[in-house]
Amino acid sequence: MSTLRRWFSRLLGTFVGARSDREFAEELETHVRFEIDELVGRGKSPAEARREALVRTGGIELAKEAYREQRGLPLIDHLRRDVSYATRALLRAPGFTAVAVATLALGIGANTALFSIFSSLILRPLPVRDPDSLALLAYGSWSYPIWEEIEARQELFDGAFAWSEERFDLSPSGQSDLVDGAFVSGGLFEVLGVTAARGRMITPADDAGAATDGPVVVISDRLWRQHFAGASDVVGRLLSVQSVPFTIVGVMPAGFFGPDVGRMKDVMLPLAAEPLILGAESRLASAGSSWLQFMVRLKPGQSIELTNAALRASQSQIVETATWDIREPLTLVPAATGRSELRGRFETPLFAMLVAVGLVLLVACANIASLLLARALARRPELSVRLVLGSSRWHIAQLLFIESLIVAAAGAALGLVFASWSSALLVRQLSTWDTNVSLDLALDWRVLGFTAALACLSAITAGVAPVFGLRTVTPGETLKDTGRGIAGDRRFAVRSTLVVAQIAVSLVLVVAAGLFLRTFASLNQLPLGFVSEPLLVAELNLQAGGGPPEERGARVERLRDAATAVPGVRSASVSAIRLLTGGGWSSGLMGVGDEPISRTGQDLWRDATTPGWFETMGIPLRSGRDFGAGDRAGSAPVAIVNEAFVRRFLPDEPPIGEHVRLGRDEVTRFAIVGVVGDAVYTTPRDGMLPTMYVPVAQQAPETFWPTVLLTINAASGQRVALERDVAAALTEADPTVVFTFGTFDQLVEDTVTQERLIAMLSAFFGGLALLLAAVGLYGVVAHAVRVRQTEIGLRMALGAAPSGIVRFVFNRVGVLLAIGLALGLVGSLWGARFVQALLFQVDARDAATFVGAAAVLVAVGVVAAWVPARRAARLDPSAVLREG
Amino acid sequence: MTKKTEVQQGTLALMVLRTLETDGALHGYGIARRIEQTARDLLAVNYGTLYPALLKLEQDGFIRGEWGTSENNRRAKYYSLTPAGKRQLAEERRQWEQTSRILGWFLDPEPA
Repeated sequence: MSTLRRWFSRLLGTFVGARSDREFAEELETHVRFEIDELVGRGKSPAEARREALVRTGGIELAKEAYREQRGLPLIDHLRRDVSYATRALLRAPGFTAVAVATLALGIGANTALFSIFSSLILRPLPVRDPDSLALLAYGSWSYPIWEEIEARQELFDGAFAWSEERFDLSPSGQSDLVDGAFVSGGLFEVLGVTAARGRMITPADDAGAATDGPVVVISDRLWRQHFAGASDVVGRLLSVQSVPFTIVGVMPAGFFGPDVGRMKDVMLPLAAEPLILGAESRLASAGSSWLQFMVRLKPGQSIELTNAALRASQSQIVETATWDIREPLTLVPAATGRSELRGRFETPLFAMLVAVGLVLLVACANIASLLLARALARRPELSVRLVLGSSRWHIAQLLFIESLIVAAAGAALGLVFASWSSALLVRQLSTWDTNVSLDLALDWRVLGFTAALACLSAITAGVAPVFGLRTVTPGETLKDTGRGIAGDRRFAVRSTLVVAQIAVSLVLVVAAGLFLRTFASLNQLPLGFVSEPLLVAELNLQAGGGPPEERGARVERLRDAATAVPGVRSASVSAIRLLTGGGWSSGLMGVGDEPISRTGQDLWRDATTPGWFETMGIPLRSGRDFGAGDRAGSAPVAIVNEAFVRRFLPDEPPIGEHVRLGRDEVTRFAIVGVVGDAVYTTPRDGMLPTMYVPVAQQAPETFWPTVLLTINAASGQRVALERDVAAALTEADPTVVFTFGTFDQLVEDTVTQERLIAMLSAFFGGLALLLAAVGLYGVVAHAVRVRQTEIGLRMALGAAPSGIVRFVFNRVGVLLAIGLALGLVGSLWGARFVQALLFQVDARDAATFVGAAAVLVAVGVVAAWVPARRAARLDPSAVLREG
Repeated sequence: MTKKTEVQQGTLALMVLRTLETDGALHGYGIARRIEQTARDLLAVNYGTLYPALLKLEQDGFIRGEWGTSENNRRAKYYSLTPAGKRQLAEERRQWEQTSRILGWFLDPEPA
């Protein structure tokens, strides 16, 4: 106890030095005065008394020193001295320090950036009360009638809630203003333990329609700040959601984004509000719509297995209403980290990139180690003087290590700044037209701990080499051996090893970059089946304006005509499905001709179009006809299929005139009237899938989608200019319609977001590693040439040609490169299997990529060695030998 | 005049504690004088050793220092014994007595 107290007090004493120094000086002064008083009392003169008193009490400075030793912790005092010494030494070499700190900042920053995304998407628990007891009903979506069954069994849990994922339009008309949102059951906030930052959250009373506030909405902290400029009177204001006014009753706390990680739920409405927006199309009564997610809080002390068993005991009642068989047992899975669709998509790529960026840091550390080593070697005379003066070897090693620690700490601090900027940039790259990825990238203890660990690791990796390099320093060498070395110098062995490692790791990274770039390129070269350049797309939200669904057909027709009339529009047509989202409208059950309806094994994709859509899209008509004015509600149902459909289902018969039946509907027979060329439906990666098109005019109003796509084929070069004119025409034709513009190019790009990101990052990391390896190689060669210039001068004086000198230098570089490349090749071949899953149409052991990567490294190595080699060849032998 | 010896390592703390127990609060100079008097001027208390020892005792919580005014109106830091210091004194006293008893047996063995 008292030992602990003493240490604490001494630790404190280390930092309150100045004040306590003054106090002690005063105490000593008093002591001397007492002494004088006494001597004067015995009859001495004051001057004599003072002199004698000082003699009797001994040296004041000595006493002060002894006192200081007791006051502070000598170890920390020394450390402080070393740190300030190392800092001064580093500041005296600003060039070296800047390069080392910047290299590390880049390396640590890139690592931290990726890790903070990884952490926020995968590791971080939801910012709610006791996230560990949350569980999600796996997997897929559920209907509202099933939710009612779950809700009726609340006693199984410590609370349960349901929510949906929605895109809400906050704009009452014209250009849309889309945000992510949700319909939530009344208990969501209560179960999660999330309390309002302002006003109140949604309660079960709101969901039951019993609250007095009427239709209510709660908004996120972000929306409050950005849409309402943080207004203090936001509670009570109206917010238009899908053109329906809602009263804002509360603002969610900052940092809370909902149960879905990666999406910021800016607007949350009670489930009871859903019919207000969807009207007759409300999904609340529909047993066939799967659109809800369920989360529960487990009872304290009750395991997830027990809860699952309890849930399954009443499975048959719970799923009774389902329109399809739910055979798999209902399963709750732990959901402390929330639910995320992004997780599955990005976990592997993120992990791969983390490994890559870790390797980059390793290369960077090797560079810094090499630099520090060179610095330490250049300081041999100084260090050897220190040894002579009695400094311990351990203390010198400590001094050198503190230098690398300071560099690492500065690099980490700067890296954090770089990381917070670049991780936000990366997250923005993940967003596409319809998914707005939002991750909380706040620096939490995980990220800070990771960065600190990286800094320590870097300091150790970079700091050990110079300490090893110093084993050869001896006290006696002070004045001898000042750079006249002729024979090979073993001290460079360490640096050469570092360069070989750098080359090897760089090769691995360049190979990876090559593979990912080729994957991205091959995805971009895939045929689309339509001509995207002239196409402008407007997604029309017909639901937002209200009005009965029966009128939508006529509204769409009016809007299409308005768009067609705009000068510069070659054609405009409407379709139901936004293509290239990876999903769409599909059917798993079908029958061709008189065959019985059966599972197709592979889904049949469907779309509804207006006449002229194929022409607008640039999809060729192979045989038969397009839809016409005659294909209307009431006339015989018709369909157009693509060539993939014909290849798969009607390979031998003429397709025109055949009939198709879909789903459980045995009656409706779609007569095939035309065959069109293949076009990508889900993503280019999936290739050409069997697709069936039907006329928009023959769709029943209630199956008419709330949003339709108006595709416009613009005259060449006018696409951008047209957007404004078309927007004006649309608003004029139908003031209530809400729309968003996009292009097919954008949609195509969005299908390769992940691959583009990987290619971009790996190219960046590969380039960075190359650059670092080149700098490392250059450093070693340049240093070797400088140290051996006496030898080189001698060789030249003895008749060696400059070309011979260049060859001499290159031989050395060649050996380093060859070993590095061989090691890198082995590493790449071994690592290849881990990236295969991320590649497309490229073999992970693609020979061309490997050879190309090796060639790039050789080229970079040659360039890095060329500069010092040329300098060596141009040495003036007489000057060198004179200066020695 | 006999030659003054320096205080033996480890015994100074005991002397300080005991002095403060008998005399109450004292400033550094007073402690030094008092110890020298008690030791019949056979000891010299160098303040290069006294003040670090006082600091250590203070850090250990055995004594407490407070600034006050002396009888001749000088500002001085007065040290006094804390309850923990009293306990420590008793403990050290016991140890010291035992040590000196043991040493006595060695130096002056009684016949068995």
